[in-house]
Amino acid sequence: MRNTWKVAKWEYKRNVKNKSFIISTFLTPVIILMFTFLPVLFSGSDDSGNEETMKVYIQDEVGVAPTVETLVNSQDSLAWDLEFTQEDQKSILSSIEENENQAFLSITEDSIESGVVEVYTSEEVTDSFFNQLQLLSQPIQAYQFEQLGLTDSQIQQVAAGVSFETLDATETSSENRVVEKSGLGESGHMVPGIVSLIVLFAIVLTGMMIFQSASQEKKEKVSEIVLSSLTPSDLMQGKIIGYFGVGLSQVFIWLGFGIPLAAWRIEDVAIVDNLLVPELLIMMLIAILGYLLFAALFVGFGSTVEDINSSSNFQGLLMMLPFLPLVFIQPILISPNGLAATIGSFIPFASPAVLILRMAMLEEWPWMEFGLAFVVLTLSVWGMIKLSGKIFEVGILLYGKNATPKEIWKWIKA
Amino acid sequence: MEQPLLSVENLGKSFKDKQVVKDVSFGVKRGKITAILGPNGAGKSTTIRSVMGIMRPDKGMVQYQNYPKQGVPHQVVGYLPEERGLYKNVKIMDIILYFADLKDYPTKKARSRALEYLKKFGLEGKDKVKVEELSKGMAQKTQFIASIIHEPELLILDEPFSGLDPVSQDVFKQEIRELAKNGTAILLSSHQMNLIEELADDLLLIHNGKTVIQGSMEEVKEQYSNYKCVIIGDNAASIFTNVPSVQNVKQDGKKTVLYLERGIHIPTWLSHMPKEVIIQEMTIDRISLHEIFVGIATEQNLMQTVGEVHA
Repeated sequence: MRNTWKVAKWEYKRNVKNKSFIISTFLTPVIILMFTFLPVLFSGSDDSGNEETMKVYIQDEVGVAPTVETLVNSQDSLAWDLEFTQEDQKSILSSIEENENQAFLSITEDSIESGVVEVYTSEEVTDSFFNQLQLLSQPIQAYQFEQLGLTDSQIQQVAAGVSFETLDATETSSENRVVEKSGLGESGHMVPGIVSLIVLFAIVLTGMMIFQSASQEKKEKVSEIVLSSLTPSDLMQGKIIGYFGVGLSQVFIWLGFGIPLAAWRIEDVAIVDNLLVPELLIMMLIAILGYLLFAALFVGFGSTVEDINSSSNFQGLLMMLPFLPLVFIQPILISPNGLAATIGSFIPFASPAVLILRMAMLEEWPWMEFGLAFVVLTLSVWGMIKLSGKIFEVGILLYGKNATPKEIWKWIKA
Repeated sequence: MEQPLLSVENLGKSFKDKQVVKDVSFGVKRGKITAILGPNGAGKSTTIRSVMGIMRPDKGMVQYQNYPKQGVPHQVVGYLPEERGLYKNVKIMDIILYFADLKDYPTKKARSRALEYLKKFGLEGKDKVKVEELSKGMAQKTQFIASIIHEPELLILDEPFSGLDPVSQDVFKQEIRELAKNGTAILLSSHQMNLIEELADDLLLIHNGKTVIQGSMEEVKEQYSNYKCVIIGDNAASIFTNVPSVQNVKQDGKKTVLYLERGIHIPTWLSHMPKEVIIQEMTIDRISLHEIFVGIATEQNLMQTVGEVHA
């Protein structure tokens, strides 16, 4: 074990001092920030479109005006200049025709009954006007229910259903944003979830560096010198722990910048309060298990490859495994407890990311299922370390060629 | 007799169906240099790796003096493998200190020893240079320093001279001798017979995994260094059939080599030379280690050809 720490310390120092580590640590956040903010800059025209004021005339015959007004005023993003009018419809319509960005809504007893509100607009309207219009369905529907004589609790019940439909109706605009928003509102686990996912992502990436490290150890023929002082399992474990440290350092630097930045930019959510919850520990534990799984896989198979450029498709395929969870993201976002989510939780190479994502989205955790998935993941990590140990022991000393899957299988059986 | 520091008994190792090392036994004594010789594929490196515990031998014993377990205690053994290299993007001093640390050798002491050796090997002031900037010879010197930095009791060098220029070879030779003089037990393998002849106290020549010649350098020379007579001239091999005390005749064009029996008297033997032999040039000298080695290596080739014919 002492030797393991020596190797870990060496690998850590060797990598952290490396220029490419320093560059990637400080460049990655810059690149991510660039990709987040560039689209906003490019879509500047959209923003200015939104900022243009929309003049909205409403002819209210039923008395929803106060509700509509409070609703519109409460929405900061809604640049509407609301005017309730009793003027003659024709004069208003002619004014609309002549001007830009104007609309006229007529809410009458008829429209309440039929559920169709007539909207007249000028030729030019702001881009998101028709989306924004959907907001009005709420007070109007509320009024509908009132007319039907429903009690308050009944209204609430039905209204809840309606708001769900509204969510679907806006799906075409930007599904992810809507769901994420609802997630942020609904689940207090979102912040620790996102942080854990970042940690998982970062340490699995450094886990991929182990593949190179093991392969390089072979290529540079250092392994035999090192193995004259310690056992292959010391060396392997040392590498896994060392690179874990490298990954953690990297992610702490990122989060050190990221969390204060996020706390400053996103005012709606109390980032720090939400982050430091007991659930974070569980998610971090899963992230660490995820790292161990991939690190073991990569150190084992890295030792079978001498020349990365000529490595076969087999080893190349393994490098794709960390991206397996991507397959599950879409289904999980739609339904965090759906079939795909459950399946993903039990596939070892997908489960760390899938579990953390689900935990982040769900307010109530299916403890039984998560517990089982956790056990499966832990067993997979244990098995993978054993398996890789066997591969590493033989592979690291095999010079001159890359091992074939058949050879590797033989080592595992031995 | 002095108890060897390292004793290897009946070592055997197979890969798949092929037995690479068969029943090899030898000992390495303190202050002595033991050399393992043999053609490529003879099983030298396999033997050394089995001793180091990098490979697990199928049978046999590797016993280190006063060490309760099988194998060698890593802390007191230095090893320079045949397949050797260094991490590329690190400083020379860092890597030497890392290897010293792996042997539990105090860092402070290791640092001053490293500086001393770098100076000795003409690498003074290079301690902060990165490994990737070194020439092959410099890298090899660094590896050598790394293998002796912790003052090992037993030093195992697998092909230490390969790829070195004559000057560096001399530096290494000098250092190996000095280490032995200071009491280090040294086991080395090499192809370079002349170097072995100069350095080794004890010899082990293996071929096809089997011990062919074993003993101290004097014994081996005594036993195997017979005379040979080389005659240049257009002679048929049949002329020499009646010459006494000839073990073997080899002919290559105009060159005929007569391998003579041990303990003959040269002037007497010369008088038996047939009168019709054409002699443009004639030399008589002792067989060198080199020739013993080549003899065994080529015999292997012959055997292989025969094997193929039968197959």
